[in-house]
Amino acid sequence: MSNLKASPVRLRLLITLLLGAVALGVTLYLSTAVVRDLRLLNSARSDNVQWTLSQAEVEFLEYDLHLNTSLGNLDPDLRTLRREFDIFYSRINTLRQASIYSALRDVPEFSRNLRIVQTFLDRTVDTIDASDTALTGALPELIERAEAVRPNVRQLANSGLNYFAEDSDRRRSNIAVTLMQMAAVVTVLLVTLLLLALYLAYLNAQNVRRRAEIVQASERMKIVTGTALDAVVVSDAEGRILDFNAAAEQIFGYSAAEAIGADLGGLIVPDHHRAAHAAGMERMRVHGEKRVVGKGRIKLEAKRATGEVFPVEFAIQSAQTDEGEIFIAFLRDISHRVKAEADLVAARDQALAGEKAKTDFLATMSHEIRTPLNGLLGNLSLLRDTKLSARQARYINNMDTSGKLLMNHISDVLDITKYDAGKLHLRPVQMNISTLLQDIIDNQSGAASANDTTLDWGWIGPPADWIHADRDRIQHILMNVIGNAVKFTQAGRVSVQAEVLSAPDSAPELHVTVSDTGIGMDDTLQSQIFDDFLTGDSSYDREVGGTGLGLGIARRFVQALGGGIDVESTLGEGSTFLIRFPITPIAAPAATGPHRRLRSGELRPSRVLLVEDNEINRVVAREMLVAAGHRVTEAANGKVAVDLAQNKTFDLILMDISMPVMDGRTATRQIRDGNGVSARTPIVALTANAMAEEQQAFLSDGMNDILTKPLTRDGLMQVIANHVHRDTDPPAFAKDASKAVAGAYLDDLRETLGVEALRPLLDRFVTEVNDTLAFLADHHSHAPAEIAARAHRIAGSAATLGAVELRAGLIAVETAANAGDEKGMAKAIAALPAIWFVTRPQMRADRDDAPDA
Amino acid sequence: MYRSLFPALAVVVATALPAWAQSLAEPEGEVILTVSGALDVTNVGGTAQFDLEMLEALDATTFETSTIWTEGTHSFTGVSLDTLLERLGVEGETLRATAINDYAVDIPVSDAVEGGPILAYRMDGETMSVRDKGPLWVIYPYDASSDYRSEVTYSRSIWQLDRIEVMQ
Repeated sequence: MSNLKASPVRLRLLITLLLGAVALGVTLYLSTAVVRDLRLLNSARSDNVQWTLSQAEVEFLEYDLHLNTSLGNLDPDLRTLRREFDIFYSRINTLRQASIYSALRDVPEFSRNLRIVQTFLDRTVDTIDASDTALTGALPELIERAEAVRPNVRQLANSGLNYFAEDSDRRRSNIAVTLMQMAAVVTVLLVTLLLLALYLAYLNAQNVRRRAEIVQASERMKIVTGTALDAVVVSDAEGRILDFNAAAEQIFGYSAAEAIGADLGGLIVPDHHRAAHAAGMERMRVHGEKRVVGKGRIKLEAKRATGEVFPVEFAIQSAQTDEGEIFIAFLRDISHRVKAEADLVAARDQALAGEKAKTDFLATMSHEIRTPLNGLLGNLSLLRDTKLSARQARYINNMDTSGKLLMNHISDVLDITKYDAGKLHLRPVQMNISTLLQDIIDNQSGAASANDTTLDWGWIGPPADWIHADRDRIQHILMNVIGNAVKFTQAGRVSVQAEVLSAPDSAPELHVTVSDTGIGMDDTLQSQIFDDFLTGDSSYDREVGGTGLGLGIARRFVQALGGGIDVESTLGEGSTFLIRFPITPIAAPAATGPHRRLRSGELRPSRVLLVEDNEINRVVAREMLVAAGHRVTEAANGKVAVDLAQNKTFDLILMDISMPVMDGRTATRQIRDGNGVSARTPIVALTANAMAEEQQAFLSDGMNDILTKPLTRDGLMQVIANHVHRDTDPPAFAKDASKAVAGAYLDDLRETLGVEALRPLLDRFVTEVNDTLAFLADHHSHAPAEIAARAHRIAGSAATLGAVELRAGLIAVETAANAGDEKGMAKAIAALPAIWFVTRPQMRADRDDAPDA
Repeated sequence: MYRSLFPALAVVVATALPAWAQSLAEPEGEVILTVSGALDVTNVGGTAQFDLEMLEALDATTFETSTIWTEGTHSFTGVSLDTLLERLGVEGETLRATAINDYAVDIPVSDAVEGGPILAYRMDGETMSVRDKGPLWVIYPYDASSDYRSEVTYSRSIWQLDRIEVMQ
């Protein structure tokens, strides 16, 4: 109980005691008064005074009697007479002078008689003091005088008696009043005492109850701390242990009897923490500074009786008690938890390491498969340029088709790996979504018409042409979904609808709905359609083929764009895919001026330093470059490249990144930092799967561009065009027009459509020509009418784009096919690849300023 | 006990002899006090009689005090009761003091202490006549102690004293 709480109780007690004391004081005072009055009442003095008054009369009578006796006597006893007179005289003197009779003398009756008696004495004293003879002679006169004054003496005594009788009455009544007062005060005192007794009894009862409560609470506390799973250790400010519960006994291995009274620091603080503990206790004692008390849960180490040090989590609180400040520590043995956590962390690390190993494995494998595949395709491309029989050409086309398909599959796996590793980075560019959709529709229209399916698209609401987005990824998604729709729809309709949905608070969303009247899906298939490696179960599905990764990748790309993809389908009736993702609409870019064109025939021979450690890749690249008329110097690693660049002038350096001895980045930095003759030569990185930030790093190393593997002839020609001839005079090339392509057509198209619109057209054209060439390669298995129709269609496109030589070749094929001239047709078909080899680079030359290159 | 009683008696006898040798002379003037009863020292017929001169010859004590019978403070001179009883070899318990008018009061011998009552024969340096409560007045030092301001003490303050009987 604190002092603050106790004060009202003490105050009440004090007031009651004060009241009692006052009553007691008043009682004592009144008692004294009563005693005094009683004493006065009973005192011998009043008796004595009354006796004195009577005695005065007695003594007067004695004197008077002696006078009368002496009168007849011949020899009167004068000595005795004088003595009697003196005694009476003395008595009256006493009555006149004594202080105790002052009150009596104030009584007029008494005072008057006293004066008369005094006068008598004064008149008589001379006679008494006279000679014996004179006294004897004066006896008769003395008797006479005595008789005269006798009534006065009597009255003197009486008046005194009356006075004292009244005085006694007055005193009695005073005493009665005092007694009454005292009785009242005593009553008050008794009541006060009674109240005090009641109050004390109440306090006592309260104390008894509180004590019982405290005992109960203490018992409860004991049970609580005794059954607590945490150790509870209570110590005083000196660190001496005051309490040690059962859990503490179990955790620390000391019995409570051993622990209580022992020093906390010595008992449970590990040796290496003891100095800090002592310093902390000292700080607390001296400065009252508390660093751990009341600061919540803290993790530290503690020591068991066995000396074992183990981790604990604890909280300390302090409390003020009558014996000073005490500290209550709750400690929990967390050794199991700490171990479990460590195990968990280890397991997680292991799992992550395993996951990373898997991802790394996939990435590496993809890369490692792509490199030799690239080699195969490159060599196939070279092989195609050699003199081949029609059958060999067909085989090569087959191998090329298969190889490219394999390459696509590997790219798919790599994309998934990248996405799942969180390494998929968007490369947004300015793009025209309408153009993209049109291109895809155009691309798929062939397949659709082959399935007797109508394919159309259009905008719902206002179109949103120009946006800032990752064109390649969007193209991949739409191509995949629309391609699927076409693939699974026979003699039906595939309809693509685009719509921009604006929301007031967020970016507008593009919704592309792809509906088909195809085979549809059951619910089970719908729920799994976006899973990886999913292929339908029907023979038809197998017939159309696929890795089953397509929609899985589409889903990942849509999610990477911040959107989603959903499907609704009814088995046998068709499916509807909804692709939605936020877009950033932009204004149409200003029409770009005439671009430099790349014409293979216009290329001036360049001096190229090819730095590549993989021999096959190096050979393929070299052959491609040499075939295009360039001079190639090879280096197997960066070190060789740096040495070569020091003394030899190159127009371009193609630099692989990862190489033994010295990697491409280091080599680039050394070339740029050196003052060799090729220190300023453009350097283009060759890399299999460069991330955006890696590309940034390459550029900051001093590289000028990045060329993604697998290397293609076109890619190579493109970088040479971009970097080698950039500073040379463009018209010099323009004049030397190829007979294969009429550049004016393309220029016109570029001016009217714009580069962005022209590029996909050219791309599609290239794809179509490639497909057609593959188609024609095994013309034996196709009807001549089909061959004629196809050749006609492509010839039309070739005319539009100015590929005049290709158009002529195709028309030759068409004419021969229509005429049933199989020999002539075969010959015309065999001539096409050579024409296309010259034409194709020029068809793609206009992508030299592609933003994502 | 008996062996030690004899030497003790011898000492008493030896020391008592000079007291008898100082036996009281007979009074020459008017006798103002007669002490009778159990006395060691007497002069007339088994009593000790004193005139004023004889009393004045004893060690005198003077003090100032007020009394209830007088006004103001007065100086009283007399022989202390203690001195008187010692002079007379009084062995008794009680003194019966009697005045000229035969007023009598008992005074316990225990009152006779040093600084206690005196038999005053002078008030303010003057002897006292019978009319002034003389010639002898037993005065206690009332102002010295509240114990002496009691009714009992007042009653023992006998004036016009002329006889004391020592009672066993």
